[in-house]
Amino acid sequence: MQQYKKTQYKLILVLVGLPARGKTHISYKLNRYLNWIGYKSEIFSIKGAQQNNDGFDQKIDYELEIDPANQQFVEVRQQLSQIAAQQLVQFLQNDGDIALYNGLTSTKADRQKLKSLFKETLKLEYQTFWVESICDDPQVILNNFNESKLSRFQDKTIESFTNHINVLAKDYQSLENIENLSYIKLINIGKLVKVHMLEGYLCSKIVSFLLNLHANNRQIYLVRSCQTEYHLLDKIGGDPELSATGRQHSQQLGDYFIEELKGNKNITFFSSQMKRGIQTAEIVGEKLGIKALKTKNLDEIDYGICDGLTVKEIAAKYPKQIKERKANPLEFKYPRGESFLDVIHRVEPIIYEIERSREPVLIIAHVAVLKCLYAYYHCNQISEIPNIDIPINCVIKLVPIPYHCLESRVIIK
Amino acid sequence: MQELGKQQKMVIGMVGLPARGKTYISRKICRYLNWMGFKSKVFNIGNYRRQICGTDCNSNFFDPGNKDASKARDECALLALNDMINYLRNEGDVSLYDGTNTTKQRRKLIMETLQQKFSEVQVFWVESICNDEDVILRNIQLTKLNNPDYVGKSSDEATQDFQQRIEQYAKVYEPIDMDENISFIKIIDIGNDIMIYNIQGFLQSKLVSYLMNLHIYPRPIYLSRHGESQYNVVHKVGGDSDLTQTGLMYAKQLGKYFIQELEGSRNIKMFTSTMQRALHTSNEVCEFLGVEYYSLKALDEINPGICDGLTYQQIADKFPQDYEERKMNKLTYRYPRGESYLDVISRVEQIIFEIERSRLPVIVIAHQAILRCLYAYFHEHEVPEIPKLNIPLHQVIKLVPAAYYCKETRIKIDPMTGHWEIQDEATIKKVKSFLDL
Repeated sequence: MQQYKKTQYKLILVLVGLPARGKTHISYKLNRYLNWIGYKSEIFSIKGAQQNNDGFDQKIDYELEIDPANQQFVEVRQQLSQIAAQQLVQFLQNDGDIALYNGLTSTKADRQKLKSLFKETLKLEYQTFWVESICDDPQVILNNFNESKLSRFQDKTIESFTNHINVLAKDYQSLENIENLSYIKLINIGKLVKVHMLEGYLCSKIVSFLLNLHANNRQIYLVRSCQTEYHLLDKIGGDPELSATGRQHSQQLGDYFIEELKGNKNITFFSSQMKRGIQTAEIVGEKLGIKALKTKNLDEIDYGICDGLTVKEIAAKYPKQIKERKANPLEFKYPRGESFLDVIHRVEPIIYEIERSREPVLIIAHVAVLKCLYAYYHCNQISEIPNIDIPINCVIKLVPIPYHCLESRVIIK
Repeated sequence: MQELGKQQKMVIGMVGLPARGKTYISRKICRYLNWMGFKSKVFNIGNYRRQICGTDCNSNFFDPGNKDASKARDECALLALNDMINYLRNEGDVSLYDGTNTTKQRRKLIMETLQQKFSEVQVFWVESICNDEDVILRNIQLTKLNNPDYVGKSSDEATQDFQQRIEQYAKVYEPIDMDENISFIKIIDIGNDIMIYNIQGFLQSKLVSYLMNLHIYPRPIYLSRHGESQYNVVHKVGGDSDLTQTGLMYAKQLGKYFIQELEGSRNIKMFTSTMQRALHTSNEVCEFLGVEYYSLKALDEINPGICDGLTYQQIADKFPQDYEERKMNKLTYRYPRGESYLDVISRVEQIIFEIERSRLPVIVIAHQAILRCLYAYFHEHEVPEIPKLNIPLHQVIKLVPAAYYCKETRIKIDPMTGHWEIQDEATIKKVKSFLDL
């Protein structure tokens, strides 16, 4: 019996593009997404190769040293690029599922060399998919700089960096059909997208994912539904309504968001279809003058046979399950219910909607579901999910920025 | 999440030379959208032309130099546009404008007319480009020769005339340009190359993902329920019961059926649920075939919530109100703490994508409600019919998607004797196919 993730073959995603075209950003987002949906995925880059290797001067940022006239740096970059590719092969030969390559791929010759390297050294079935990022909109390029490179510049200036890019651009060769490679070209952050020879489940998924990305840094608010009588009785699951206190807290939540969102009614507002979710969202929505989109995808994890029982009752009735859950909290499935992995799968369409949204996003849901959503933005391993803390009456504000996610928490009293 | 797509009405405009699959694509999109809960309709300009100008139009009618004919054709295009707008104003969510729309001028006219008459609509263009002569000829033979335009003509005559018609269009064809500032997807050589420009919104994103999965390999799809389960015997709903002896025997006979049907091939894709009765059925089949299956929670039977484990009689006794509600509105009724058919459709959508994407034969071994939803999608049943569709135990439904419809065959397999009874239902050539007005 196979699991849902289809890993009959390994997948190599190769990034192509001039510097400051968002390759690193794209690779981070893809890597995060792929790990979240359950694949063992890693990025192999010049920077990565340098960090793992004491033979190179760690004080020089070789990713920024792109001056094509500086022969020494050019050679070092080529070496690092080669090492990254070799590390990639090692990773896939072992137990890696997907590898992202962010090295030297700007010419047809580079790409053919890379293709040959994989063919000769990778002794497994694999598929390669090429992801090219092209920008010819100067505003977009400038934004890329401000977002990602500025902090890393010390005595270099943006001007010299841009000059180097212009020189590199002369030898740059965009992907062409004649190279016989499967690819996607994202032009000006996905305003125009070209796909060639798309094949396979994973690549289709990756293309759908990439189509939704944009560069707007908007806030994402994750909030649990407010107090119900089940909380007071220490029961899990169920579909209880809000208690009086719960309704009061929802009002306070609404007040918080009135201030926070400053009258913006264009937000993307989701809630679950459980009574407590709907009621919390209705009260908050009324204050804000907007209506939430109710979706079953955000419903709490199905506790199966444990639904409606108190923690003590479960411990008494199902000691075997408690043990199993302790041993493997991520994969443990409540009998006739769900596991965290099932919830991740269920909540994936919401991630797509959050990614697609250029406006602030407000989500009212429940503990287990929010753990999964939170993990997408913050965790490197999904094994951390069961331990994430999502307190009640607390607004978790996430702002994804290139390579990171900023977080702040506000307890609503 | 359907509401996300209903915030604005949508018009989908097709673009492309004749015999490029525009009608095929627009009907597929229409079927998908209706299944997903968006009221959609295709407005085929050719049908309007046939009604108004008659069916005796040879290729000269399509000469761009033929002023009278051009005027008539423009009128037809505008008539169709008006009907389309009315549809959206009334009950429709999405209209598909199925015509060649091959010039910038025509597309501009449509955009401007829509802006004038119906400004809150989003417009999305789908262009199909194909340069493979074999594919084009095949398209002509499959779909054009039965066209009312060619009644009484020999197949060679019709083919030649049609090819001339294509040439007339080709004279003035202007593929969509980014300068036109419209949102579009270009599908080139049946998806070998895809170009997407300026897509916006939930529905457009979904459509693009959907279109990327389409192909024209005529691969068969086999749907079967699990073998008889213990709950089936006592008429209980839900549960995770195991197969009965009879059910197990069916599973084995099913394996034998597939070995013969697939001629020993292992190049298939098999999907099943995570419930015991389906898994055990699939295990038997896979033993015979020597393949592996994908076990997906998305194919689990509809969740009957608090009614789980009860018989229909018990439900009627314990929850009379719910029982009545369900009878009245089986499609939208949601079992308390459980699901409705609409929830199941939503859940099962990803399987539709997987089946569409597959170029290998697909076998799905699942449950009654699930298969009703899948079957309805492939067979273009109206969504309200879904809860009543007939999907009995111990029967394989074989669907082979063809030009505009699906050829269906049902194979009843007797679990005891292994005897097959093949019911070759008349290939459902929907009367609607050419007169879709």
